[in-house]
Amino acid sequence: PCRAQPKKKKKVDVKKEQAQKERMKKKLKKLEKAAPELIPIEDFITPLKYSESNRVRSLPTLSPEETERRVLLLKKWCLFKQKQDEAEKKAIKALVESQQEALKELRLESEELYEAAIRRDEGLFPFEREGPSYTPPLPGYDPPEGKCIDITKVYTQ
Amino acid sequence: MAGHCGARAMAARLGPRAAGSARGVCSAAARRPWRLFGAMCLLRLPRITQPLEKEEEEMVALMEQIELEKSCYSDHEIRKLEEEEQLKRKKESLYDEDEARGKTVIMAQDLEEKWEQKFLQFKAAPRVTDADKSNDRKSLNRKLDSNLMLLVKQKIGNQELWLLPQVEWQPGETLRSTAERAMATFLGDHIQAKVLGNAPFGIYKYKFPRAIRTENNMGAKVFFFKAFLQSRDLSQAELKADYLWVTKKELGEYLKTEYLKKVNRFLLDL
Repeated sequence: PCRAQPKKKKKVDVKKEQAQKERMKKKLKKLEKAAPELIPIEDFITPLKYSESNRVRSLPTLSPEETERRVLLLKKWCLFKQKQDEAEKKAIKALVESQQEALKELRLESEELYEAAIRRDEGLFPFEREGPSYTPPLPGYDPPEGKCIDITKVYTQ
Repeated sequence: MAGHCGARAMAARLGPRAAGSARGVCSAAARRPWRLFGAMCLLRLPRITQPLEKEEEEMVALMEQIELEKSCYSDHEIRKLEEEEQLKRKKESLYDEDEARGKTVIMAQDLEEKWEQKFLQFKAAPRVTDADKSNDRKSLNRKLDSNLMLLVKQKIGNQELWLLPQVEWQPGETLRSTAERAMATFLGDHIQAKVLGNAPFGIYKYKFPRAIRTENNMGAKVFFFKAFLQSRDLSQAELKADYLWVTKKELGEYLKTEYLKKVNRFLLDL
């Protein structure tokens, strides 16, 4: 009598546990089969508070002269950028030509120097450099104290 | 590989050379005996941005205006508008007691004024430095918005010329190491410069004047290499010769026309 009862409990428990495990496994399989959720790009979603009506700016409408001026300015800008781009391309072409000429002359001189020149320079990349700023660095400047806490949300798939 | 050793060992090798040239004249003509030099064009990159052109400034103003028109009010602006309305109502003295309970101590306008004050207190370094005003061509602080190049006065033949630092090539080293050696001779060993690759950027070829020209020593080829200067100041460098740091436009005042033409081809004017 003492032995029989605990045995039954064990069996039932074991069966129940096994049934539970199978259910969990099935749920996991279903979740894995479902397509992964796309990570939302926070920049593309405008928060709802910015679509309220009191947020709309009230400015005077543009006069026809103003629109005319803007269109002409955009056309001038187009031309300016085109000329700038052409000048850049021309400069790069001259640079490449000059280098090719130098390599040709070097080849005429000696093959081994030419081979040494064509070889890839491993130490060149990665090349890091700070870009120019609006004002030069102030010598002896003491920046104010402060801490920057990063609150960007990180999503995992 | 005795052909490209230059004129240094010329006297010792005239004997076997004459025999060689008698054997086949075409081989001597195919590889002319030029002396090789490696020159280094050391560039100090710009530290401040270039001033905007007229069209660029107009465009900037237009872009700002368009952005303003397309935008909505921000939190700070709404706060400012509400406080202005509160002030107006206080002046008309209509609902003073009700509003006084939720009265804000600091107004948005005050905050703006405080920020403006703080900004005015900060004095940035001037874009036009002292070296600009005194036109001190030896200092690196001049013309912070354009590239500066190193020019050195060297003796070639019997003339003292302004050139990019160059040194004769020695057998057993690549041209890039010649150029680096040239830099080290004129600026000392403590210079940190990033040489852009193993290949030369340009070449200047010239024949010696008739008096010095011999069969084995027709002229010289100068191969130019480019490098970016990375060390901030050169106070440690001991410069042995006369040197100048010049921009591309000022190069014309110092270099000869032919030399200048070749050098200008591989210098990008930003």
